Parts: sequence; structure tokens; C-alpha cells
Amino acid sequence: MNKKKHRKITKDSVTSVLYPLLFGAVIVVLWQTQILHKILGTDTFVLPLPDRIFTIIGDNMGAIMENVKATVIVSLGGLILGSALGYLLGMIAMAFPKWGAGGLTVVSAFNAVPIIAIAPILNNLTKDFSEDANTRSMIAKTLVVTITCTVAMSINAFRGFTELKPFSLDLMKSYAANKATIFFKLRVPNSLPYVFTALRVSVPASIISALVSEYFAEYIIGVGRQIRENIVLAQYATAWAYIVVACAIGIVLYLILLFAEGILLKNRRPRWKSV
Amino acid sequence: MNQIKKIVQSKQMVTFAWIIGLVAVWEIIASYVEKTKRTPDNVLPHLYQIVESVFSPDLVNGSQTAIQIVLSNAGITLFRAAIGFVIGTAIGFLLALLMNMFTAAEKIAFPYLMIIQMIPILGMAPIVLAITKDIDTSRIVIAAILTFYPVATNTLAGFKSVEKEKHELMYSLAARKRDIYKKLLIPSCMPYFFTGLKISAPMAITASILVDTLQGGGGLGCMLSQSLKHAMTIYVFWQIVFVGAIIGILSYALMTLLERLVSPNKKAKR
Repeated sequence: MNKKKHRKITKDSVTSVLYPLLFGAVIVVLWQTQILHKILGTDTFVLPLPDRIFTIIGDNMGAIMENVKATVIVSLGGLILGSALGYLLGMIAMAFPKWGAGGLTVVSAFNAVPIIAIAPILNNLTKDFSEDANTRSMIAKTLVVTITCTVAMSINAFRGFTELKPFSLDLMKSYAANKATIFFKLRVPNSLPYVFTALRVSVPASIISALVSEYFAEYIIGVGRQIRENIVLAQYATAWAYIVVACAIGIVLYLILLFAEGILLKNRRPRWKSV
Repeated sequence: MNQIKKIVQSKQMVTFAWIIGLVAVWEIIASYVEKTKRTPDNVLPHLYQIVESVFSPDLVNGSQTAIQIVLSNAGITLFRAAIGFVIGTAIGFLLALLMNMFTAAEKIAFPYLMIIQMIPILGMAPIVLAITKDIDTSRIVIAAILTFYPVATNTLAGFKSVEKEKHELMYSLAARKRDIYKKLLIPSCMPYFFTGLKISAPMAITASILVDTLQGGGGLGCMLSQSLKHAMTIYVFWQIVFVGAIIGILSYALMTLLERLVSPNKKAKR
């Protein structure tokens, strides 16, 4: 799938920056002046004003960073493990196309399984892995993220290895290239855009599954868990501070990905997200 | 995904063999767990034990058997997810339409559509519950939010994918704007629209189950956490895992079926 969603960069590129900024500013003003609260029928207790949220983030920087560290380690660890595993599975599927493709069909069914169902199973499975509750929760959470990321990567990697440009395989064969050469010179470079397609799906997914698996984890740490714990304690302002932080993590990681993609796929057509 | 569909049709046997393989792996691990753990039921029971619990006539909470509880709560969860899904689809489609009609709307909304993809909405579920104060409403709201942006971005991509020549043909026929949308743009964005639906249908169900876990009052997620805390037999949990997986996959299959009914001859280029 190759979708073009990019905007034209033309004379009106100024307005395309200005309009969203204005819109954002209007929302913030509505929020700060409490008109937004009237629209949603809520109060400043449940939906605190932006300046208050940012004061709290500033005041609790130490605690917040500790939770951010826990969440980022889980989501990045799971993302790397899952993507590596998925790439490997894609490779195996390529080597045995008939059985591999069938296997990927089954794997893709995992896409539809709710994370919430996986998280408690893994929690129970990893109970004996370590004496330390923090370590074993960490393992369980990372495994959940790994599973979520494996699926997207394996399907896309398989497509990257097999959906080659017409005649490129014939060309390689006419050069009498052996399988290893075909793999490294043709298939691996061809799979690169597909890898990024998968990552565009799995980077946000890794954070979401990290946050959700924190809900079920034994050890109370992580941004997602803090959102929930603070709401249980009716400390909505603190919960909002963690929500803002969670969004910031998501955006930063995605921007890093886009940056890496911009460098690595400089001379290629941008491929937009799929799955 | 189309490619995968094709594979399903032509190589059902392969898939079947894989499922058998997975079952075998599950059983091997389950046998190992049975020997080494004190409470194998909590970790990984045998599949036949789960199947047995489905047909067991024992009452779990006084009035219902395990499977009755699971199915009635699945109904509650699915119903909310479906309402949210429909609302989200409608908003997403309308937004894409607006964005395609008015450049200003596109300029305003597009960056936010990109940003919302990066934001972990599910993490915000508790706060939505706090704002709406009602578990049913928040289920619907979260499912709707999760549905609307894949639908909006994919539908917009569908509108943009219409070839210039077709626009020119419409122009040369002096077609009205309404007719252009009715006869050209909307039919040709359908495959993309359904791609969005396929992404968001399982997500809406996941969201609905997650929101259930936040508060009592029924729903699969609520039963799931109760069962995990051993308020009822742990097999309720295992049944929910499978029912959750099955309805997730069925929701995807349902979207594929709908796509075939609505636009039988069109397929998105992938």
C-alpha cells in the first residue's frame, strides 16, 4: 500500500503552519479561560488549567523522570526485541514462502487480540523469573510490547523481502548471483522502506502497550500506572501532568523515527503507513 | 492485508497446520507448567480444561455459568464498542470530507491528525472516565476517538488518490461538485475507508474492554479483573482471553465482509 498523504509545500506553506498554530492557541485560550470546561460540563478539579499542569510537571520533575525512564525502557526494549524478532520471522517466512506466508496469516490474527488479554497472562507466566518484583514486572511488560511489535514487523518485513521490483530478481539470476548475494544486495535494501512502515505503526503501539501493561503489572511504576493511581487518589492535576508527559514521549519517539527515516530513506519515495 | 486474504483462500491447509502447531506448543508448555507450578490454572491451563469449563454447568456467581457470564458481558462491551465505532466512523468520514473540500480545514486538522496518532489515547482512558463520570459514556467516547483518526486519515488518502485525469473528465462533463463527490470521489475512496475501518475495529473493542477494567458495572474487562483477583473461577479469565481474541478477529472479518458487499470490484493498491 502506498498512500500519499503529504501536503504540497507551496506559497501557502505559511498558512499551513499558521492555521494549526492559531487553532491550538484558541484551544489553549478556551481552556485557560475555562470556557472549555463549560462546553465539556466539567470543572477545574477534573480538568485543571494548563498553567497548573505545567507547574506540577516542574515541581515533580524527579518523580516524573523516574516513571518516564521505566516506561521508555519497557517500550523501547520491547520495540527493539519485537522488531528484531519480527524481521527474523519475515526472513524465515521468505526462506519457506509457502509455509511462511501461512504462518504470517496466523501471526496477523494476533493483531486483533486485545493487549489487555495478553498482559495478565504474561504477568502470571513471569512470576518465577526473578525475586525482585520490579525486575519481573519489567520483563512481563517488555514481553507484552515485544508481542505487539513483532506482528507488524514480521508482515511488513516479509513483504519487503518478497515484493521486489519487476525483473530485479531475474536480473540477479542472470548474473548467476547466489542466494546470499540476492539477499544482501536486493532483498535487504528493498525491505528498508517496509521496515519503516512497520515502525510507524509499532512506535506508537509500543508506547500504548507499555502504558496498558503497566496497569496490570505487579510493581507500581511507569507513566501509565501513575495516571491511573493518581486518578484513584483523585489527584487529577497530577494525573494530567503524567498524561502530558505520556503524549510528549509519544511525540518525541515518533519524531526521532521520522528523523531516522529521513536520513536513511533520503533518496527514496516516502511510503506511508499501512497494516 | 489483501495479499494475506488471498493466501487464506488458497492455502487454508497451511493455516490450519499452523494452528495445530500452535496448539501443540501451547499444550507442551501447559504440561511443563502443570508439573512445575503450584497453581497451573493461573499460569497456563491445558486447552481442554478451558473447553471443559465452557461446557461446565457449574454456577460461578450464583445464577450464571462461566460461559453465560462471559457472553452476557461480551454483549455489553461489544454494544458500547459498536456505538463508539459508528460515531467515530461518521466523524472521521465527515472530517475527511471537510478536509478535502476546504483547504483551510485540511491545514488546521492535518497536523493534529498526525499528532493524535502519536498520543497514547488508551492511557487517557481514566481521565475520560473522570470527565464524563459515566462508564458507558466513556467507553463510547474512547472507542470513538480511537476509531475516528484511522478512518479520517485513510479516507483523506483515498480522496487524494483519485487520478487527475478523472477529475479532468468530470470537469469536461461540467459535473456539479455534488456529482463529483457522489460519482467519483466517494466510490473511489471506499477501499481506503475500509482500510481505516479494519484498523480501528479491533482497536475499538480493545478500548472498550480496557475501560471496563477501570470501574465495576459489567463488561468483559470488569469480569477479567474480578476473575484475576479470584472473585470467581480463573477459567472465566481464560474464556475472556479467547472470546476477546475471537471478537477482535471477527470484527476485522466483518469489515472485510462489509467491504466486499459495498464495493465488490475495488481493491486498494497496496
